[in-house]
Amino acid sequence: MAKKTYDLLFKLLLIGDSGVGKTCILFRFSDDAFTSTFISTIGIDFKIKTVELRGKKIKLQIWDTAGQERFHTITTSYYRGAMGILLVYDITNEKSFENIIKWLRNIDEHANEDVERMILGNKCDMTDKRIVSKERGEAIAREYGIRFMETSAKANINIEKAFSELAEAILDQTASKDSNNENQVVVVDRKNQEKSPAYRSCCTS
Amino acid sequence: MSVYKSRLKEFENLIKQDEIDIKALKKFIHSGIPECAKYRPICWKLLFNYLDPKRKNNWESHLERQRNNYRNLIKDFCIPPSCKDVDLSVDHPLSDNIDSSWSTFFKDNETFLLQIDKDARRLLPDISFFQEPCKYPCDIVVNSDTEIRLHHRVAPSTLSSANVERKGVGIKKINLIVKRAPENYQAMQKGQEANWEVVERMLFIYAKLNSGQGYVQGMNEIIGPIYYVFASNDEHAEFAEADCFWCFTALMSEIRDFFIKTLDETDSGIRGMMNKLTRMLEKKDIHVSNRLKEQGIFPQYYSFRWISLILSQEFDLPDVLRLWDSILADDSRFEYLICVCCAMIILVRDQILENDFEHNVKLLQNYPSMDINFVLSRANQLMEST
Repeated sequence: MAKKTYDLLFKLLLIGDSGVGKTCILFRFSDDAFTSTFISTIGIDFKIKTVELRGKKIKLQIWDTAGQERFHTITTSYYRGAMGILLVYDITNEKSFENIIKWLRNIDEHANEDVERMILGNKCDMTDKRIVSKERGEAIAREYGIRFMETSAKANINIEKAFSELAEAILDQTASKDSNNENQVVVVDRKNQEKSPAYRSCCTS
Repeated sequence: MSVYKSRLKEFENLIKQDEIDIKALKKFIHSGIPECAKYRPICWKLLFNYLDPKRKNNWESHLERQRNNYRNLIKDFCIPPSCKDVDLSVDHPLSDNIDSSWSTFFKDNETFLLQIDKDARRLLPDISFFQEPCKYPCDIVVNSDTEIRLHHRVAPSTLSSANVERKGVGIKKINLIVKRAPENYQAMQKGQEANWEVVERMLFIYAKLNSGQGYVQGMNEIIGPIYYVFASNDEHAEFAEADCFWCFTALMSEIRDFFIKTLDETDSGIRGMMNKLTRMLEKKDIHVSNRLKEQGIFPQYYSFRWISLILSQEFDLPDVLRLWDSILADDSRFEYLICVCCAMIILVRDQILENDFEHNVKLLQNYPSMDINFVLSRANQLMEST
């Protein structure tokens, strides 16, 4: 077995309606490239990227899910192990924005209580097709106390930032929980651990 | 070469008969169709039971009837109410009546046409075929004076406001500037349509006819290979759409349970199928089976897609077609599919036993390219020993 090359392992999950660009966001982040010719994700996909935060090497294990209702029984089983969830909608698609509420309810039902959440309004480069204003995105994020950003996988806007802010939030959580256990390396199941005071800020950029 | 030639001759002899010996033909196809570009369409039509091997003299009338039936389906489902004779006093776009054909029209757009549109456009992007113009476009659709193409119904549109200037009494000048985004999907000219538009129409009609099931993502990956086989063969291209539709319907009748959530846990549902694979792997290679279990690599990480799409996303299209020859020609098609999946895992067993969790997930989700005949012969061994 190879020697462990990271200090922490964070499991992240991408959810949201079909066609909002989840796979493209992940591809931009992991391979720094964009293609508009993605096939639809059936079931669940998986990528790895290691980032460095506050001197710590953090391995991000990111699960990309299929958007359509039919796949929910398959995909919700991944919510439980996730430490961070990126909930994506498409700023040119009203329905995908309205469904944010539905997705948030899914998170409540299936994810850990203290999972870090972030809403992303993707395709923000497509200004002339915009239907959901940035203000509406900010408002819903404020209402639920969740981080928010507009992104573009195509124009590479805020993609890196979204992942690193989410990772940082998780790091804050684990740091406050494990402050008396410096050697803690991999945190996988945090179900039974004490809940830390919620750290939530509404980020706009 | 002479072996190949004699094989070809044997095959041509088989399909030349007035009564085709389907059992012998299946056995033949299982190990590959000679001159497959030429003969695959006829073979698949026989395997889907679209053509009756015993009643060759009926083929012509049967095909004519089926193609006509499909044409009527296009007329019934794809023509918007505005182009039909309807009672305009009750049936108009703003009608509250839920039975109004307009109400159905708008509901379809919202519920499943949008999803079909997204998936038809991103079907098999590695080849250009689906973006190319269809050789035999549907005349009802492409020659209509009103815009009746399905994707127009779901194209995102915004109402543009205009700059209105008052000029004198009662005279207004309106400057309407319609912006066009450069990434607007290239629409075909009147009289033409792209192959993906044809796929979109078939999936739409299928969803309308099977409203309990509707459209589920992945069906596009099932219909894609069938349409490609028919439409890329000069002899079969003219009626590729209608023929593909009925063959797809026949195939779906066998695998529809994979796509229905409420049947997931049943034997024929997707979880039942994944369990079959798990059990077979346990029996055939306990080390690999244990390794995957220890690492927490559940079958749904990879085999959900393998099985529900009949492996159409795991290999390049020519290999998928070759693979489907064998699966379709097998008497217990989907038991055989499980054998192919099991063979795929066993063929990378050394890597699985070596790798850590994430490399194994990646390996199984992005299966390495491999000689497809090698995979098939391993699957045949597994099939024989069960």
